[in-house]
Amino acid sequence: MFSHLLILAEVTGHAADAAAAHGEAASGITKITQDFGISVPFILAQVLNFSVVAILLWKFAFKPVLATMDERQKRISDGLKYAEEMQAKLALTQSESAAIIKAAQLDAQKAIDEARKAAKEFGDKQQAEAITRAADLLTKAQQSIELEHKKMLNEARSEIARLVVKTTEQVLAKKLSDADRASYNEAATKELSAL
Amino acid sequence: MAADKQTKLLAKQLFKLSLVNGVVSPEQVTGVLGWVEKYAHRRPVALLKAYHHRIALELAKSRAEVEHAGPISDATLRQIEAAMTKRYARPVTATARPNAKLLAGLRVRVGSDIYESSVAGQLATLSV
Repeated sequence: MFSHLLILAEVTGHAADAAAAHGEAASGITKITQDFGISVPFILAQVLNFSVVAILLWKFAFKPVLATMDERQKRISDGLKYAEEMQAKLALTQSESAAIIKAAQLDAQKAIDEARKAAKEFGDKQQAEAITRAADLLTKAQQSIELEHKKMLNEARSEIARLVVKTTEQVLAKKLSDADRASYNEAATKELSAL
Repeated sequence: MAADKQTKLLAKQLFKLSLVNGVVSPEQVTGVLGWVEKYAHRRPVALLKAYHHRIALELAKSRAEVEHAGPISDATLRQIEAAMTKRYARPVTATARPNAKLLAGLRVRVGSDIYESSVAGQLATLSV
């Protein structure tokens, strides 16, 4: 860098010397262009060339590249947006799933509670019916025992009465005299006549 | 041989012809038997059985069979006859029949009716 400055200073010194040498032959700018070898047509041709190259590069290189970059940028932004939407949907779906699971758990718990309640009611009902049936059986057994007891007492009473009557008949057959029978017959006649 | 409906109806009509003032008349019965003998029925035996059954029932209504244990006097029989005649509104004749099983007392049978006042009957009532 420092060497370039030295070269530039040297060139500038040479230019000053050349200007002093030539005098009034040329103005400052013209002198500079001449000193530096600047040619206007050449510069114009360079500008034209540069413009043509720039236009071609813009049309066939930069523009497609920019379009591709825009498209990629758009795709990336769409992808990010889609990812965000998917994340939001995923979150929503997770929340919905959680809500559904919770509702299902509540329903299942409710069903279990109802089943337990029904089972308890059924058990209570069966127990009550069993108790009633047992009470009925007990009552019927007691009634049957009482009936059997009464029947036995009646049979015993009948048998005793039969024995008493038979004994009485035998005693009366031996003990009643004709006079007693005649007296009884007269009483019976009066009784039958009064009917 | 069982009597059919027509034979029973004829026996009933003959039986009605045999009554005079509600009492079986021997003359009427003789006439009925003569009629049966003269005009042969298609089933004479069945007719006569049905007729005999009705006459026997009617005669039984006019007869009081008095079963008794121990002695019974004629006055007692007459008293029973009078009571039954009054009850059935027809002449009833009493006949005595000893029955020692009664022990003491009477049992009077008029047709299918039975009246009893006996020691055996009262004892039987006790034994039931």
